[in-house]
Amino acid sequence: MNVALIGCSGMGVHHAGHATKAGFKIVACGDAIKERAVELASQYGADATTDCLSLCKRDDVDVVAVLTPTPFHTEYVVAAAEAGKNIFCEKPFGRTLEQCNTGIAAAEKAGVKLFVGHVVRYFQEFETIKAQIDAGKVGKVGFVRTYRGGICPVGAGNWFRDWDMSGGVTMDTIIHDFDWIRYVFGDPAQVFSQNLREQFDKAIDYAMVTFRMKSGIIVNTIGTWAHPGGFRVKVEVCGDNGMLQFDSSEAPLSVMMRETASGMPGMIVPGSPVGVSPYELEWHDFKNWLDGKGRPRVTPQDGVWAVRMALAALESADTGKPVAFN
Amino acid sequence: MAKLGIMSFAHMHAYSYAAAINELAEAELFAIWDDDAARGKAAADQFKAPFMANRDAFLASGLDGVIICSENVKHRAMVEAAAKAGKWILCEKPLATTIEDAQAMIDVCKKTGVGLGTAFPCRYVAPLMAAKEDLDSGRFGTIYAAACTNNGSFPGGWFADEKLSGGGATMDHTVHVVDLLRWMFGKEVTKVYCENGNLIREGIGTDDVGSLHFEMEGGIKVSHIASWNRSKSFPTWGDVTMEIIAENGVLNVDAFNQKVNVYNDTAMKAEWVPWGDNADLGLVSDFAAACDEKRDPAITGYDGLKAVEVTVAAYKSAKSGEMVSV
Repeated sequence: MNVALIGCSGMGVHHAGHATKAGFKIVACGDAIKERAVELASQYGADATTDCLSLCKRDDVDVVAVLTPTPFHTEYVVAAAEAGKNIFCEKPFGRTLEQCNTGIAAAEKAGVKLFVGHVVRYFQEFETIKAQIDAGKVGKVGFVRTYRGGICPVGAGNWFRDWDMSGGVTMDTIIHDFDWIRYVFGDPAQVFSQNLREQFDKAIDYAMVTFRMKSGIIVNTIGTWAHPGGFRVKVEVCGDNGMLQFDSSEAPLSVMMRETASGMPGMIVPGSPVGVSPYELEWHDFKNWLDGKGRPRVTPQDGVWAVRMALAALESADTGKPVAFN
Repeated sequence: MAKLGIMSFAHMHAYSYAAAINELAEAELFAIWDDDAARGKAAADQFKAPFMANRDAFLASGLDGVIICSENVKHRAMVEAAAKAGKWILCEKPLATTIEDAQAMIDVCKKTGVGLGTAFPCRYVAPLMAAKEDLDSGRFGTIYAAACTNNGSFPGGWFADEKLSGGGATMDHTVHVVDLLRWMFGKEVTKVYCENGNLIREGIGTDDVGSLHFEMEGGIKVSHIASWNRSKSFPTWGDVTMEIIAENGVLNVDAFNQKVNVYNDTAMKAEWVPWGDNADLGLVSDFAAACDEKRDPAITGYDGLKAVEVTVAAYKSAKSGEMVSV
């Protein structure tokens, strides 16, 4: 099964490797910056181009992977759908609900398969947490707290630091938690949120979000792009018969180099190696669907819901009022 | 040496304050009064101090000051009686369950010329003191945001009876962190949002989880969890944590994370045994000095009132569903 990658910076490089491991073949790489497309394509013996729309129309392409900055997802999702290609779209599915709906409608009309990369559903630690909850280990859940983030990412052309493009830590990073929360605890009833947006510093965002789920459960989600370095994920779930906690800083592997390429001492980077990466698992899940074997863990509507939750959180932070989900 | 009395052992902190008085050279546990005579007598035996069944006789016995550890709603009547008897007062938190009560307590102490303090021992917890000192150095620059928790185990008894406590976990576990925020940042809370409910132990009759959001002067944004969400099997009573996001860095303080992890086969439950300094000694030592020097305690009734205002606003918000001004 042949894949055309659109977007060859961070996520492009990342997904090329995992899709290949899952049995896909990278045949074409597109990026607005030619060098980037050429560099990635050369590693996989693929073609490189800056004309990304043309990639969607190639006869030898079965799947288009949309790995661009968020606001450009929909343009390529629609082009791929219209060319009859199946689609892997990195999260967030779109920057606006209109974009999401346009993408879904195009895929439905064309009858192609659309997968949104909410990879946290494939992380082994998160699946273990879900399994423990499902097994009743904490009893009836009443409260959940999640934490995710570290340094503000840079990205091509500094796009993460452009609020209108990325939507900050809420739209880009803790959208992972929003999707996972809904996956495990059902739909939210309303949200209240605070964030730093561009209040103090463009390179710093910090989001503090409270969801009231339809079940009554309260969920507190913290997202940070305010740390000078590192990346940390924490989860706490409290119920009437117990609680559970996860903290990525308690990792089995950590390294600290005396000197790094930048000349600066390296920070401690905790690692948690697994045989099969969650990113590879999501490509396997997508492939099984393409092969006619079962449904994937993430549906296109899940991708839309996560964007809805992020947009509602951003709206609440802007207005100072809770936002209800109808 | 300050002759101190304790009024009521309803709140468990009375026991640690009594032990602190006995440990300090500058204070003497002169007498104990309790409206529950059996409880008072048992405490008197435990701490080797005389029990007095009559409140007026207790207040006329030659005391310099009293520490009041009754159920929350009884604070006001005891403060009024002690103030009219000319005694210096240290009152357990929350100072009161309504703004009216807290203000009346401040007024009566002012009128009778006695000092009134609120028992916020967190200001004497060494890691929190070190955090404040570091922030005060100025090296962090402007404070942007904070994400805090004051989680706890379910205390049971009168704590869950709103007629005596005035409220649940939100009442019990908001004021410590509000006081720390005011103390560390030198700014007031201006707006409060709160989602809370009885979500962990069904049917206790009051809220056991609250997710709060504050706005403070200077545009500082704060998330705070006030809870009784710790399970019986959790290795410690709870926590006070703060992640403070500032211009030049991030400060994390986990106030009681000075512990030894103990795994005992008889208990069959992991236990975190604390080894940090006893904060009650600092609190009680200041109160003894305030009695001797005829000055206000370092943490005043006004500080107690400001924390009560935020808690009252939190319940107002939980009821109205809106962010409310303090």
